[in-house]
Parts: sequence; C-alpha cells; structure tokens
Amino acid sequence: MHIDVNDVFWMIPVADDAADVEFDQQQASLRVNDLMVFDDHDVANSLTQGLGLPGGLGFTYPKIPPVAPGRATVSFDVEWNSPTTSAQINNDSQQFKGSFLQVSATVKWSADQPGFHFESELPDPSRNLISVLGYEQNGVFFNLAG
Amino acid sequence: MKAVQIHRPFRSRRAFLGKAATTGTLLGAGLFGPRSAHAHDRPNQKSPNPIPGGVAPFSPFGVFIHHNPLNAANPLSALNDPSQITDFQGFVGLTHIRGGGTGINTVTGETMTLGFQADVGFNKGEFIATDGFQYRGTFAFV
Repeated sequence: MHIDVNDVFWMIPVADDAADVEFDQQQASLRVNDLMVFDDHDVANSLTQGLGLPGGLGFTYPKIPPVAPGRATVSFDVEWNSPTTSAQINNDSQQFKGSFLQVSATVKWSADQPGFHFESELPDPSRNLISVLGYEQNGVFFNLAG
Repeated sequence: MKAVQIHRPFRSRRAFLGKAATTGTLLGAGLFGPRSAHAHDRPNQKSPNPIPGGVAPFSPFGVFIHHNPLNAANPLSALNDPSQITDFQGFVGLTHIRGGGTGINTVTGETMTLGFQADVGFNKGEFIATDGFQYRGTFAFV
C-alpha cells in the first residue's frame, strides 16, 4: 500500500457502510471487497517508495532489494469485540482525547494480483496481538467541548 | 458531503528523511506516480491531513510515517493517538494481528503455506480536509 500524496499513512477512502460501529455494544467491523491498491511487496519498499534498503553503512537494517510496486486487490473482513479494558484519554501533547477500548479482533482477508491469490485462515481470536476501538477527537477538534 | 470551512494554519506536508539513492536509480521514475491507489477512480474524494506525530522506522531511509503503531507492552491508558488522520472526530479501530493462509500460483496451481502480520483499521467520522472544509468520511487502514 502506498502512502497518500498528503502523507496520510496507508489510508484509503471506502464506502461509508464499510465500517460498522456499535460503540455502545463495544464492537465494530470493517468489510471491504476487491479494494484496488498498490502492492509495495514489503514495508521497507513501501516506506522508501520502492528503493529498498542498502544494508551495511553502519545501520542495523538488513539489505532489502528494491521492488517495483504492482497492482493488486484486497478484501478484508475485520471484527473488533470483547473488550478487556477501557480508558478515557486526554493527551495534551498529542492533541487527542476520547474513549477507548482494548478489544479482541479477528481478520479474514484475501488478495489477488496477476498470477497469485492469497486466502487467509479462518478468523481466529488467538491471533490478535493488540487491538483498540475508540471514539476520539484530535487536531482542531481536540479543544472542542464534548 | 456537507462542507464547512475551518481555518487551519499551513504546515509542511512531506517529511522526507532521506533515500537510498544508489539503489533507487535502478528503478526509474515509474515508482513516483500517483500514490493513492487508483486515485483517479475517486475524483470526488476529499483528502484528509495526517497526524503530526509518528515514527521513522528506517531512519534515515524512507519517509516519516504519520502513524503510531500499537504496542502490546503498553497499557491502554498510555495509548498514542491511534488515528492516522488529524482534525478528526469519530470512530477509530486498529488491530495488530498475525496469522497464516494459503497462497496459490494461479498459473501453475501450486499452493504454499504463508504467514502474515498485519496492521488494519479504520477511521469513520468528520474531518477537516486539505481544502479546509469539513467532511464526513470512512477510511480503511490497509
């Protein structure tokens, strides 16, 4: 996935109903089908815009060969639910505030590009490393009441 | 989309920290085309602005990313802004997850077992776009 021309990181506009949030029920879902993206192959090539990493030169990063991006489509079905912790956060230094839940999550996804198809395993909550769900205000909305 | 203009001070957008020029010259200029995938297919979408903070995981190579990766070692109360979009109010979901799956060479039919680690999420709400107007929108983080 490329970084947006305005530097917004790996975000892409989707249909409004792609994300369904029932915050009072402490759950949400994201469903996108056949979303057209660029496949940058790996994180290093995404962040260097296909230049890879040189390796050596006193840096700790391994050598990552440059890879040109390709067109791909992805489909995602992500579920957030089963909160374990909640927090009200008012972070003045980062200018954001809101109500947040640490939750469980599952993902089922697939990807297609010419000559290749990937299908993930069935959703498995044990695969979750960390997930959050929240309602927040940041930037110019940070200083608004409510 | 409903539009309401809110003044916002100008600030620099791009924050390149450096590139591996020696390898990059092999690839040509085709990599620097439109960065929003298939953006020409969505001419009416309004562009949000990134959060000011973030990380530079390959510093000094690569771009500064306006994203705070989730850290399972931190308590929820120490959460960094999980939104990638600034001037935003609404719902945000973010997950850091791993798993496995099956890759298929659709030409030969060969299958392979593969693993993945993914950061996936969404923003759904109101935001001030680059044009200074307020919109409602939904964005997937993929």
